Amino acid sequence: MKKVFMWIGISLGVVLVAAFVALSVMAGGPKDALYMVRYALPHMHRGNLKPGDGAPDAKLFALNGTDTFHIRDRAAGKPLVLVFGSFT
Amino acid sequence: MQIFNDYKDYADFLTVYVREAHPTDEWQMKSNVKDDVCYAQPRNLSDRLAIANDFTKRFKFPVPFGVDDMNNAANDAYAAWPERLYIIDENGKIAYRGGNGPFKYYPSEVRAWLAARYGEVKHPEAKPEEKKTEEKKVAEKKS
Repeated sequence: MKKVFMWIGISLGVVLVAAFVALSVMAGGPKDALYMVRYALPHMHRGNLKPGDGAPDAKLFALNGTDTFHIRDRAAGKPLVLVFGSFT
Repeated sequence: MQIFNDYKDYADFLTVYVREAHPTDEWQMKSNVKDDVCYAQPRNLSDRLAIANDFTKRFKFPVPFGVDDMNNAANDAYAAWPERLYIIDENGKIAYRGGNGPFKYYPSEVRAWLAARYGEVKHPEAKPEEKKTEEKKVAEKKS
């Protein structure tokens, strides 16, 4: 029984190390892997939207900071390409 | 943005600025330091607007622009962070849903969707003939 637990522990360890190595390669280094887990993964979601679903609406600010508009306002008559992103 | 230049007469485009992906106080990238793109994660709307304005001015960004609010409503509705592409059709339905960037961010899929509907469109500056001329010039210089 003791041996079983030992092997389970070793297997889990190997899996964790392999996952961390894979994440490090993907992120660019071990430090980046840690930052990815801490800062990126909590905010990254696949979401439930799929083609054919109604597009959700949201209010956005214009660059002047005072005017606002809705995504839906921009989707009129033609397809609307939405490009989400940030500067960094 | 080449796709915008090519298809702006056929489709509307809207850039939605969402929370920063690699701010100085979170997961900062070396490339951002090199490119002098160093910002802390905005804590209020003015900070967010300031960065968005810096971005559009620095790149003379021509695509219509909107800034998500501090509740991240647009980001949450579209699961958009850190970058993502969608196409909404004329009936208000999702016609294309891209994957989360940077690993599954494929502008070429948006181009393919638009090309399938409107045909291949190429920006005047990217005409193959002009490219060929440029290539010829480079070849001549080399020889």
